[in-house]
Amino acid sequence: MLDRMITHSAFLELVDELAGKRRIIGPVARGERFFYEEVERAGALDLAFNYCVYGPRAFLFPPTETLFTFQQIEGRFAAEAVVEDRPTALVGVHPCDINAIRLLDRVFEKDHPDEHYLSRRRNTLIIGLDCPRPCTDGIFCSDMKTNEATEGFDVMLFPLGAVQEVGASGKGGGGDPQAGPSVRADEPPAAPSQYGVVFGTPTGREWLLYSHKSTVPTAADERALEQYHRSKAAAFRRAIKTPSEDLPALLDRSYDSLLWEATARRCYSCGSCNLSCPTCYCFNIYDELDMTLAAGERKREWDGCQLPKFAEVAGPHNFRAKAASRLRHRIYRKAKWVREQTDLPGCVGCARCDRACTAKISSVEIYNQLAEEA
Amino acid sequence: MAMTTQATPPTAGGSLYIPTPARIRAIEDLTEFERLFELEFLDGHPLGHDPGQFVQVSVLGIGECPISICSSPTRQETFELCIRRVGNVTNHLHTLEPGAIVGIRGPLGHGFDVSEMHGKDVLIVAGGLGLAPVRSLIQYILDERSRFGRFDLLYGAREPKEILFKDDLTEWRESADVDFHVTVDRPDEQWRGKSGVVTTLFKGLPKLDPAETMVVIVGPPIMFKFVVLEVLARRIPQHSIYCSLERRMKCGIGKCGHCQANNVYVCMDGPVFKYGRLKAMREALE
Ligand SMILES: Cc1cc2nc3c(=O)[nH]c(=O)nc-3n(C[C@H](O)[C@H](O)[C@H](O)COP(=O)(O)OP(=O)(O)OC[C@H]3O[C@@H](n4cnc5c(N)ncnc54)[C@H](O)[C@@H]3O)c2cc1C
Ligand code: SF4
Ligand code: SF4
Ligand code: FES
Repeated sequence: MLDRMITHSAFLELVDELAGKRRIIGPVARGERFFYEEVERAGALDLAFNYCVYGPRAFLFPPTETLFTFQQIEGRFAAEAVVEDRPTALVGVHPCDINAIRLLDRVFEKDHPDEHYLSRRRNTLIIGLDCPRPCTDGIFCSDMKTNEATEGFDVMLFPLGAVQEVGASGKGGGGDPQAGPSVRADEPPAAPSQYGVVFGTPTGREWLLYSHKSTVPTAADERALEQYHRSKAAAFRRAIKTPSEDLPALLDRSYDSLLWEATARRCYSCGSCNLSCPTCYCFNIYDELDMTLAAGERKREWDGCQLPKFAEVAGPHNFRAKAASRLRHRIYRKAKWVREQTDLPGCVGCARCDRACTAKISSVEIYNQLAEEA
Repeated sequence: MAMTTQATPPTAGGSLYIPTPARIRAIEDLTEFERLFELEFLDGHPLGHDPGQFVQVSVLGIGECPISICSSPTRQETFELCIRRVGNVTNHLHTLEPGAIVGIRGPLGHGFDVSEMHGKDVLIVAGGLGLAPVRSLIQYILDERSRFGRFDLLYGAREPKEILFKDDLTEWRESADVDFHVTVDRPDEQWRGKSGVVTTLFKGLPKLDPAETMVVIVGPPIMFKFVVLEVLARRIPQHSIYCSLERRMKCGIGKCGHCQANNVYVCMDGPVFKYGRLKAMREALE
C-alpha cells in the first residue's frame, strides 16, 4: 500500500528545503562510481545510481570518533563525553543498507546502549530508495532477504516511473515478469519520473506531508506498485544454493572444512572486506594526548577481524593466528553468529566485500562450495 | 548474590566509556612482574562485584585494559587488582605510586555462581596468573566458610619466584578452613615444597563426590586441558566445572568484537564459563 505519490522534481525541492534544517547525505557520482557524500543542494544528488561503493555506515558510526575528552588536574581527571546530535538526512538508501543500519541499531542498543551511535541515529532521517532490479552483478541481497526493507526507514521511495523506462530500454523488461533484467546490470538506472511513497515513521510522514508537494495515490498507482513488485521479484535471481535460514546449519557442518585453509591461502589479511562492509561494527579504542600531555581524547576507530592482530593478547598469544581461522570467523559472523545474537541478518548480500577483495575471495563462492561438500 | 544480572556500568555524562576515578591506596610487589594494587573509588562507593568479574582499568592518555578483580566482595570498602606488566597500560600502572588516580569501568562480565556452590564441596585449581581471578572466590569462601563443604585448593607456578600472594599462601597453609597445596614446575635450591606440574597434586586429593563437588579451574589453556582430564576422570559432571577465559578486550560491554570466541562475547557471557558450554566453543581452549 502506498501512502503518497511524489514526482522526482518535487522530491528534490523537498530535500532542498530540508537542507536548511539537516545535513544532507546522499549518492554523488565520482567518475563512474557513486559515493555517499554530504551535499549542499538536492541537485548534487544522483538518485539514478546503481550502488554506492561504501554503505552510509560512516555517517552513523564514523571510521574514527572521540568518545570523551579528558583533562588531568593535580593528579585527578575530569572527562566529558562527546555525543554528536547533528540533524542529518540520509537520502537514497537502498534496502540492503537500510537492513544494515537496522542491525547496527540493534547492536548498539543491545544490553548497554551506546549513546555515541544512538544519538546520531536518533537525529538521522532515513529516506530509502527501493531497487527495481539488481544494482550490479555478484550481489546476493535477495538470498539474504534484504533486497526489501520493512523497517529502518522514515520514508521509502519506490521508483515507479523508472520501471517502464527500464522495460523500454531492454527486450521484454517490466512487462514480462519472467524475462528479468535485460539491460546491463551495472548501468545506472534512468532517473525515475515519480516515486510511490511509503511512510516508515511518524517523523517521515510529517516531513513528507507538511509541504503539500505529494499527491494521493490512485488505483492506477497501486496497480503500478503491484506490477513493480512482480517485475522486481522476477529480476532478482538466487545466487546462493542454500537458503539463508539454512546457512547456520551448513556452517555447523563446515567448521573443519579444508575450504577455509584453501581459500585463505589467497587472503592478504588486508581487511578491505571489513572496511567495505555495511554490517561490520568491530572497533578498537585508543588514547590521544595533546601537546600539554595533560589533556587528550579517548577515541575509537573501525577495526577488522581479518587483520592479523585482532585477537592477539599478551603472551603473546593469538587466538586466530591463521588467516583461515579469521576467514571462517568472518563468514560465521555474517551468516550465523550475528543472526543468533540479534535475530537480524548479519550480512545483507551487497557483495561489497567480494568486490573489495584483491584476492577475489567471494562469499557466494564460499557458501556454494561448502554446500557442495556438505 | 545476584549472579545472573549484569550490572550496567554508570553512563557517566552520556558515555558508557567514561571510567570512574579511583585512588590507589596501597601497592605491594608480588613478584618481579606482578604488583597488587588496592583501590577505592573517590566517591567511596563499593565496587559491588561478584567473584570472577573484571574491570577495565584506565590510565588516561595511555589506554585501558581488562583486569580481574582479585579481592572478594565480602571485603567491601576497597578492591584489589593483581597486575602483570606486559605492555603499555600495565607498564604505566607499575610506575604509579599510592595516592595516584586511575579510571575504572565495571564490574563487568559474569563471574562464578557462588550460590550454586553453597552446600557443596569446592575444589579450586589455579595455574600461574590464574590465581588472581580465583583469589576473589577463595576469599569469598573463607569469609562465608559455613556455607560450603570441603574446600581444596591446588596452585601451580612455573618457578618459585613466580609464586603470587605469598602472605595469603602462608595463611591458607595454616588455615583449617582450606586444604591447600602448591607446586612448582622448576624448583630452585631454596624450594622445599612440592615440584611437578599442578596435576601431580591430584594424588594427594581425597576422593571427590561427583554429585557434591564443584570444581574451578583457572590457568593457561594447556594447564586447563590436563586438569580437566583429571577432573573428568574423577567423574565430575561437565556442568560442575568452571573456568575463566582470557581474550583481547577493548569495550568490555559486548560491542567491539575483540573478545569473541566462536559465537560468544567473553566480556558479556564470561569470562567465567562452565566447561559444558566451552566444549561447544571450539576456539575457547585453542
Ligand atoms: C577478563 C580478563 C582478565 C584479566 N585479568 C588480568 C589480571 O588479573 N592481571 C593481569 O595482569 N592481566 C590480566 N588480564 C590480561 C591483561 O588484560 C593484559 O595483559 C593487558 O590488556 C595488556 O595491556 P597492556 O596495555 O599493558 O599491553 P599492550 O601494550 O596493549 O600489549 C601487550 C600485549 O598484550 C596484548 N594485549 C593487548 N590488549 C590486550 C587485552 N585487552 N587483553 C589481553 N592482551 C592484550 C597485545 O596484543 C600484546 O601482545 C586479563 C585479561 C582479561 C581479558
Ligand atoms: S579483502 Fe580479501 S584479501 Fe583482504 S582480508 Fe578480506 S578476504 Fe582477505
Ligand atoms: S559480508 Fe559482504 S555481502 Fe555481506 S553485508 Fe558485508 S560487505 Fe555486504
Ligand atoms: S570486549 Fe568488546 S565485545 Fe567483548
